[in-house]
Amino acid sequence: MPRDLPRFVLLCVLSVIFLAPVYWMLSTSLKSEADAISLPVQWIPTHPTFDNYREILTSPDGNILRWTGNSLYVALAFTVLHVALCALTAYPLARMRFPGRNGWFWLILSSMMIPGIVTLIPTYIMMLNFGWINSYHALIWPGLSGVFGVFLLRQFFVGIPRELEEAARLDGANSLLILWRIILPLSIPALATLAVFAFMGSWNNFLWPLYTVTDVDKMTLPVGITTFSQRYVTEYGKLMAATTLAAVPALIAYLIAQRFLEAGLSTTGLKE
Amino acid sequence: MTVTQAHPRTDTAPAPRPRRRLVLEPYLYLLPHALLFFLFTVYPIGYGLYISVHRWDLLNPVKAFVGSEFYRNLFTPGTPQADFFWHTLWNTTFFTIVSVPLLLAAALGLALLLHRPIFGRAFFRAVFFMPGILTVSVMGILWRWMFDNQIGLVNAARDVLLNAQPIPWLSTEGLAWVPIVVGTVWWTLGFNMTLYLAALGNVPLSLYEAASLDGATPWQSFRFITLPLLAPVTLFVFVTTALASFQLFGQSLVITGGGPSRSTQSVIQYITEEGFSNSQYSSATAMGFAFGLIMLIFTAGQFSIMARDVKGN
Repeated sequence: MPRDLPRFVLLCVLSVIFLAPVYWMLSTSLKSEADAISLPVQWIPTHPTFDNYREILTSPDGNILRWTGNSLYVALAFTVLHVALCALTAYPLARMRFPGRNGWFWLILSSMMIPGIVTLIPTYIMMLNFGWINSYHALIWPGLSGVFGVFLLRQFFVGIPRELEEAARLDGANSLLILWRIILPLSIPALATLAVFAFMGSWNNFLWPLYTVTDVDKMTLPVGITTFSQRYVTEYGKLMAATTLAAVPALIAYLIAQRFLEAGLSTTGLKE
Repeated sequence: MTVTQAHPRTDTAPAPRPRRRLVLEPYLYLLPHALLFFLFTVYPIGYGLYISVHRWDLLNPVKAFVGSEFYRNLFTPGTPQADFFWHTLWNTTFFTIVSVPLLLAAALGLALLLHRPIFGRAFFRAVFFMPGILTVSVMGILWRWMFDNQIGLVNAARDVLLNAQPIPWLSTEGLAWVPIVVGTVWWTLGFNMTLYLAALGNVPLSLYEAASLDGATPWQSFRFITLPLLAPVTLFVFVTTALASFQLFGQSLVITGGGPSRSTQSVIQYITEEGFSNSQYSSATAMGFAFGLIMLIFTAGQFSIMARDVKGN
């Protein structure tokens, strides 16, 4: 191991640098506003207080718990619908033969070349026309047209051995049953990866909900937090309490989904 | 992007026995997503083209046809649209040029430090990856505080270590990029590192053993074995990172608000300002198409990587 010592020390130093902002966030959140900006800097709060947390949690300007709930609802609804839609679409593209199969696959795949900014304003005006501004419909439905998940699942479904399907078909199973009983259970890793990505994408979505949901009570967490940023400007004790509270669900989710997330990143990256 | 095949791939699909009554079946599976695809991907493109050649005023039911006026504005010196569009496009390009090499080199560096076993490896991996799970507004407010003009952590550290005067990072042109770039690197490095770690895990150890038997130095092994084998993942990381950088929005919006005097405003932020703050929907849509055309370079790169994966394997 001594040969590895320099590497280990370097990793420790880098870890300290990476964790410093997070420590600073926690430390500031426990200081009064006066202590937060006092010099010399207080690395450890001299008069630790939970006042900032109390103030943020009872703020009349926005309810951070409610925003968290809104985000959770939107992200869960989106994830369930997205995974279901992608599986239904990927299944025939991977396992059936029919006229137009390849054409359709390449058409939807090539739509990934369309940058989101192109459809931003037209889709916004559609939301106005639908009466979906300040509605969760705006945060859920347009994103469901995405095709990356179709690609991901199609690539996975193609690799499942055909013998299993043939046997079930001889037993009289219809295609829906084959999808449900054979294809999907064998694809749990891919489905989990897609679900994690879909959930994270929806949870972290920022630009679109910033403009489509402007009613404070209906905001999602990332957007709601920015209203604090505008309201408290330089009251960093309160801001850091708010960002800490906003980071907690993400951290918990990360600890739960870490395995899927990192495995998913590796497998959706390059196989080599 | 590509997917690891969990099972050996059967070469061609044996044609299912033709059964007439089932001929609609595959299309029924495709239908739900296809409806949404037409409504929210295909239709908005056509609708956008229509909006961009009309004067779209929400209060006026008559949308006058103006032809290419809003596109020509972008090439007419002196209009605010031309000034700000190209200025913010340059800002975005500058950010991409600065951050992408950092995000590639530092990610590879971290992956090289971590891919061989070491005490606490899982912990280090988690530490480097963790910032990426924070949502952009949390990350932005945190880095605004880190680089606060007076008493952010960076200025506090300068005070303690160097006894130096605080630097007004956020309100100085040029310097205002520092918190945005540093924050972005901190925030997204872990994703790229994870991709590099996966790729390094696939390099056969026997290659290194053979090289060291032939007397190769560690540098030579790295230069002539590791780097060439990492070329595909590097291309992938480059394309996705450049694409993400070009879509800079949240970081600069939250950290600097695009200031001082638009010096860190990204082109997407400007387009949203033109559309949502100024209600110039047609002008903003035209800019979206213009910027989208430029982005096509990167999205086409991403597409070709995916296409190779579909055909290859």
